[in-house]
Amino acid sequence: MKPSILLFLTLGALFALAGCTTTQTAEHCTARVAGTLDAATLDVEQRLASGCEYHFDSYFRDLLAIAEDNPAASNRVHFSDFLVRQVDTGTLSRRRAEELYNRYFAIKFVSLRGDYNTCSQTCPIRQRVLADMRTELQHKEQGLLRASEDATSFYRADTLLKETELVLEATCRACAAGGS
Amino acid sequence: MTKRKPTGRGRIAATLALPLLLLVPAASVLAAPGTGPVVRLFPTTVLEDIRETGQVAEDMENSLQQVIHRMDLQQDLYSESLCAGADGDAGCDRIARQLGATYLEMLELMSDRLPDMERSVENTRTSLEKRLHEEIGLRTTPTSLQDSLLGAVDGAPVTGADAPALRGRSGVRLSDRFRQYYDLVATRQGGPGGSLSVIAADIYLDMEDASRLIAATQQEIARASLMEQLNQSFGLITPEMAQVVGGVKEILFGERGADGPIAAPPYAIGEAPFVSPLAM
Repeated sequence: MKPSILLFLTLGALFALAGCTTTQTAEHCTARVAGTLDAATLDVEQRLASGCEYHFDSYFRDLLAIAEDNPAASNRVHFSDFLVRQVDTGTLSRRRAEELYNRYFAIKFVSLRGDYNTCSQTCPIRQRVLADMRTELQHKEQGLLRASEDATSFYRADTLLKETELVLEATCRACAAGGS
Repeated sequence: MTKRKPTGRGRIAATLALPLLLLVPAASVLAAPGTGPVVRLFPTTVLEDIRETGQVAEDMENSLQQVIHRMDLQQDLYSESLCAGADGDAGCDRIARQLGATYLEMLELMSDRLPDMERSVENTRTSLEKRLHEEIGLRTTPTSLQDSLLGAVDGAPVTGADAPALRGRSGVRLSDRFRQYYDLVATRQGGPGGSLSVIAADIYLDMEDASRLIAATQQEIARASLMEQLNQSFGLITPEMAQVVGGVKEILFGERGADGPIAAPPYAIGEAPFVSPLAM
């Protein structure tokens, strides 16, 4: 057999093997996450450690859905620990982990943050900020109310949104008027 | 037109001197420690504006309440006498004219009192606007605003009973509303800043609404007075009277027009718009 033909066959075999591996990885990553929250979390962590990092958002949603089906006050701690471990393993940045945890499990709104004054930062985009906060309240409903059974915190977040709407409406009018 | 009564500022100032002096130390600090920058939304000047507006509103309510009560009685008499549709009945005509005269008296009283009310509301609105702009708009970031609003709960839980109600205070007298505002502000001076931000926003937005209503009412009074003077010649009770009285009640007593006007028209005279024979 000619060396060129041998080389061609060898390369073909290698590509075929690589393709099989990719398919296996994709299937492994996209398989349904199920079971108890503990078991599902363990499964997710193993997948994240074996090349499925790009599916993190999907896994997080799956875990939230499982937590909703099995509500418990301890779920908030469970998610906090899970996110901290992902920061430790380098799957997530600390900022992203904080953003996710606070969005779903904290009273405060990540949609209302910033280091510039309210007149210059929030007022020009007030409607967008409030729309983002309303969306975030739905996430808090999922995390705080349904998954963690923490109605008190959820209703406080709801009140915080209403108070913010009121204070921003008045403040932004005052800003527009220049404070007389 | 009745003679304008003194605004009572001197009397109010004397009455308020002691309580205001007591409030000065408390008014200097508004935010609880650890809730971010100190926010001074209610210095003594703002407190005084709120208190004075409440006093002016109370004076106006008191002066109008008697007239409106008399209109109620006259309206009842008109209805009980089955005057609706009784054209040409001398007794009914007299009641209708009396009702119209009371209505004119109310318009004159309002015309007399509204400028004081307008000035007082505008003072409160302007001073709060300035505080909101400086203290929340410029000195607060979105992050610290949220912290301060939350601080109201984290520091000292706000229960349903003492939490400031948000907007929409139908059914509350204007003066009572200001009294509530004043009490809320005065008793929370040393407390968490969060709820004070909400109260400041609430009062400010209320004052904007009140300013608009007062301006619109003032515009209408002159025209309504003229129309009623014309109607007096014919002894008519018009739907317009009911609308104006309803507007007054809404401003002063927090009653919505839909709740039923105090002097509903007994019959539908004057519903068609006036068309002058001189009109082209």
